[in-house]
Amino acid sequence: MSLKMFEKPLGMRDTFPITYEKIETVRKTGREFLRSRGYDFIQTPSLEYFDTVGKASAIYNASLFKLVDSQGNTLVLRPDMTTPIARVATSKLLKEKIPLRLAYFANVFRAQQTEGGRPAEFGQMGIEVIGDSTVFADAEVIITAITLIQSFGIESFKITIGHAGVLNCILKDYTESDLQANTLRKLLVDRNYVGFEEAVESFHLPKTKSDALLQFIDEATNFVSIEEIEKYVRKNDALEYMQQLIELINVADLSKYVALDFTLSSHMNYYTGMLFEVFAEGSGFALGNGGRYDGLLHHFGSEVGATGFGIRIDRLLEVLPAEEMQDETVAVIFHEQDYLQALTIANRFREEGKRVTLQSKKGLLDEEAFIKQFGRVVNVSQEDLV
Amino acid sequence: MSELTIAMPKGRIFEEAYQMLIDVGFNLPEEVEMSRKLMIEIPEEKIRFILAKPTDVPVYVEHGVADIGIAGKDTLLEQKRNVHELLDLKISQCYIASAGLPNTTMNEIAPRIATKYPNIAMNYYKEIGEQVEIIELNGSIELAPMIGLADRIVDIVSTGRTLKENGLVEYEHITDVSSRLIANPVSYRMKSARIQEIVTRLKKFVN
Repeated sequence: MSLKMFEKPLGMRDTFPITYEKIETVRKTGREFLRSRGYDFIQTPSLEYFDTVGKASAIYNASLFKLVDSQGNTLVLRPDMTTPIARVATSKLLKEKIPLRLAYFANVFRAQQTEGGRPAEFGQMGIEVIGDSTVFADAEVIITAITLIQSFGIESFKITIGHAGVLNCILKDYTESDLQANTLRKLLVDRNYVGFEEAVESFHLPKTKSDALLQFIDEATNFVSIEEIEKYVRKNDALEYMQQLIELINVADLSKYVALDFTLSSHMNYYTGMLFEVFAEGSGFALGNGGRYDGLLHHFGSEVGATGFGIRIDRLLEVLPAEEMQDETVAVIFHEQDYLQALTIANRFREEGKRVTLQSKKGLLDEEAFIKQFGRVVNVSQEDLV
Repeated sequence: MSELTIAMPKGRIFEEAYQMLIDVGFNLPEEVEMSRKLMIEIPEEKIRFILAKPTDVPVYVEHGVADIGIAGKDTLLEQKRNVHELLDLKISQCYIASAGLPNTTMNEIAPRIATKYPNIAMNYYKEIGEQVEIIELNGSIELAPMIGLADRIVDIVSTGRTLKENGLVEYEHITDVSSRLIANPVSYRMKSARIQEIVTRLKKFVN
């Protein structure tokens, strides 16, 4: 394959100045907000071993960028931040502080198979609370997610919460084999409600069971209150947990941002507890997701609980309210002989906090076009001496 | 009440689906002038229809420029887009099958399969452990076995008349197909009341 001169690898994007500044604003707002809530920012390497982080990650194998190092080990470009953070937390940080509250703002890499143009590298901001198995940690994560999104000035958004334990209990109780339960779970991961109904019918279950499943799928994404799920599940810990969680969100007076969705399911089996997705008006794609992933910590050999969330920066930029960037820009244009004056003038403006571009007249091909880019233009001449 | 954008496939399915919406009580004009129009506004119901090529409906819905849409299960299987499949509308029911010249066996080394559904065909033969070469065509698929381009075709069958007229017989039934109501994941959440209402009304009508 011959590459064109200006071609970039599939899914890779340049970030131009205007977008760059928006991302920086997001980073600054998010960072200040999360630090004020007691989160410590960390960074992990871009490359990890495939056998450790790559395999443990929730991202599909086919989406991993793989390379080989000089020793012949397979490496991956980090496809998410949760897995590396789980690694470093279990190997080191948990020994120093527990529970941990960690935050990140980093780029992750996921190879694209379809349609050119979708980003294969994008920024993610998120938090992980590691070493706290109580419902308060999950409430903290959800409330942090809500208030973080609010801190960006976004008002029209929803967080849908489900619980793997509740769903598993329902699927197990109303089917007759693990195979059936898994088939249904897979259809829910794909959000294929039609397929779910077809599968239920094809199982030839006793009428009470299939009726219950069909009614469940009809209602499960639209429960107004947690009580409505109770008729489907026998009393269990997961249900009680969800009741407590919803109560805590009520106490925080944030329940208007929250909806229940007990069909929510992940293809990764270490999401054992509550999980959620974040949607905001203005983008066709989910803004982010989160949940409890105790199983991942177990994978790394730790028995403590962990929960967190991440939001995608590219999607966040789509839903961000439009804001004019108001930098005061000044161009100081000078002739060769006036260089000293130009420096003096430029420094004076810089001290006033303005963005000053120092440009020699000789270096300009089209002065008229150039100066249009600035809020103010100063032509340095001998008269400015006085 | 928020504005709802519905992506509809142009042509026969549009008429059937549109009639269905009228039947379940939506206040839509009986006659729509849709010869060249690509967008129809229904201010009374706060609904906007966009008319797209049937295979493009899931694209509009996935990107959220349409909140919901009506798409064939064949298109959904072929494109695997990130949309919620909410309801089987049970219109334009047909199925996908393999077909070929009568009394023929497939070439032993790598039988060639002509189809406009390369992904569906590939997945099907992969699952049954058959190594095949997929040849993607855009139309007149029946021509391929007749002229010796392929051993089999994988195509949509409704009455079987087209196959018969071209001297082909059906070999394997691959999957059933019908029109589905699909939704964008974000719209499904942000406009859940409206979408749910449509689903409930249509569901009652369909069953």
